[in-house]
Amino acid sequence: MATFQAVKKAVALNPTVRTLPSGIPFAPLLNAAVRAPHDPHAHGESGPRSDVAPRWAGGPSLRSSGLVTKTYTSVSPSVNVQQRFISTSAVRKDAPDVPDFSHYRTNPESNRALSYFMVGSLGVISASAAKSSVSEFLQSMAASADVLALAKVEVDLSTIPEGKNVIIKWRGKPVFIRHRTQSEIEEARSSDWKTFRDPQSDEDRVKKPEWLVMLGVCTHLGCVPIGEAGDYGGWFCPCHGSHYDISGRARKGPAPLNLEVPQYEFSEVDEKLVIG
Amino acid sequence: MLSRLSAGAFKKAASAGASRSAVNGARSASVRFASTQASGSAALESVLNSRAALATATAVSVGTIAWYTHLYGNLPFLGEAHASHLSDEGLHPQAYPWSHKGVLDTFDHASIRRGYQVYREVCAACHSLDRIAWRNLVGVSHTADEARAMAEEVEYSDGPGSDGEMFQRPGKLADYMPAPYPNEEAARAGNAGAYPPDLSLIIKARHGGADYVFSLLTGYQDPPAGVEIREGMNYNPYFPGGAISMARVLFDGLVEYDDGTPATTSQMAKDVVTFLSWASEPEHDERKKYGIKAVIIFSVLTALSLYVKRFKWGPIKNRKISYNPPADKTH
Amino acid sequence: MSVSSALYNTFFKRNSVFVGTVFAGAFAFGVGFDIGVTKFYDAWNKGKQWKDIRHKYVTEE
Repeated sequence: MATFQAVKKAVALNPTVRTLPSGIPFAPLLNAAVRAPHDPHAHGESGPRSDVAPRWAGGPSLRSSGLVTKTYTSVSPSVNVQQRFISTSAVRKDAPDVPDFSHYRTNPESNRALSYFMVGSLGVISASAAKSSVSEFLQSMAASADVLALAKVEVDLSTIPEGKNVIIKWRGKPVFIRHRTQSEIEEARSSDWKTFRDPQSDEDRVKKPEWLVMLGVCTHLGCVPIGEAGDYGGWFCPCHGSHYDISGRARKGPAPLNLEVPQYEFSEVDEKLVIG
Repeated sequence: MLSRLSAGAFKKAASAGASRSAVNGARSASVRFASTQASGSAALESVLNSRAALATATAVSVGTIAWYTHLYGNLPFLGEAHASHLSDEGLHPQAYPWSHKGVLDTFDHASIRRGYQVYREVCAACHSLDRIAWRNLVGVSHTADEARAMAEEVEYSDGPGSDGEMFQRPGKLADYMPAPYPNEEAARAGNAGAYPPDLSLIIKARHGGADYVFSLLTGYQDPPAGVEIREGMNYNPYFPGGAISMARVLFDGLVEYDDGTPATTSQMAKDVVTFLSWASEPEHDERKKYGIKAVIIFSVLTALSLYVKRFKWGPIKNRKISYNPPADKTH
Repeated sequence: MSVSSALYNTFFKRNSVFVGTVFAGAFAFGVGFDIGVTKFYDAWNKGKQWKDIRHKYVTEE
């Protein structure tokens, strides 16, 4: 019932033309866009008035008893029920009321270079920030300082007499350092290294001829060879009988490669060897 | 045409019509009031006003309080009476103007160097510093040569050697600071049962941080009247409980600084606290520099994004869509 | 106006040049910003950092 009432009120029965308290004629329901049909006899949707009040809404009607006008008390103007004062009445505008956002617009013509500059700066700083984020993240995967501090080992060479081996530990592996005598150097250099299993000249394996620095891990299965042993006066692996010569090259037995040479350098000032 | 009426006007007319028709009576069979109309919000309202909702809310509240009381042993939001005294919490330390206090301030590295000297000559007799290695001092308070020389004065056991035995060797930069006691039991035995804490993170590990440690070091005094301190304990108002096993160790002129700074008690306390602050946060200087960079970069980025957002949205917000009804050409 | 139009014609007109400028600028900005902040930081903390007192303790070199 209530829905029916509401629809009834909404559909019709506003006075089509009235006068506002400010004295301005007000016709909110008049459809000014509707035109009279081109052919007055034609049927169509566009009539002169499409909002004629329906019969159930009251108004004058011709009955058998004569012309009767009926008005329902529930009919009332549905919009402006209360009195409006001049100061509060809305201004009637010709154009539809659209909010104005022109203050929001950056002038694209005069500020074109500036706008591009701003967009470009945003790109520059974002790219810079992204680059440092990525590089910092990658750096976090690098070895930490305590690992790096142990990654280098210093050896005082002045304590190693000629013709002696020294074994030190570096990154958990033994490193052989041999102070070679002159005859050993000549022996290592005179051999016909091109015929060896892993051909490598003695000059390629040492930085200074009297100092031989190698990783003490047999290239066969990782045992630690014994110094000053074997058929060639170098190293001998007790596990499977590989023989290395005085330059650490594999000469006999199952070892496929020469003993590995780590990265090292000499510091001239205080006769020190830095491995790593 | 209907669309010209606002939704509010529509609703007003509907409810006005409904109540009016109720007065009228002749036109509506049943009487309905606006407040009893069956709509979504009204249904929610009736659920909220129901007795079941009231009972549920009461049960939840009582249950929550009961659970809290069960967990923590006292009622929430109510103060508890404690049989303790404020002095049990320790005196609140004053805020001191540390040279590294500001958001842009680095440590005073000369002070770190002096503080290391104080630590080495005084504190290291009982307290370890086992998270700091000799190499950490390099580039902070000592040169590499100085740090290496200091490390070599200490013997470290290493090995096993080729004969399978552990051996002693002089320290290297990669070694950590030597501890005064081999383990906690030895430390307790040497200090009448009290364990001198490791100082590596002590500034972070205590309420009040640097201010607390400084106040503690300089705050030793005679116990006030009525306070009993056991034999072997010392009175310090900043220490929670007031009685501390550690005796006052810093006295004027105890160490001799190599840069000629007068070694007063407060000077030494300030230096050693600066050193310990550095030990707790070795990344401190770098961190503040990154902070400056991040704040600048992100504020500029924010400003630029606001501009670019406005730039991109300007045309969209200014777009106007209008409909012009077609004019009838025959008139 | 002439400066802005010159700027526009040099850098913004072609998108490839624009993007290239942005990436090159990002690299230069990263380096320059780092130098600038470090300079300010060192000036602000003058005399406190290790590099300010290092010369007192270095014996040789």
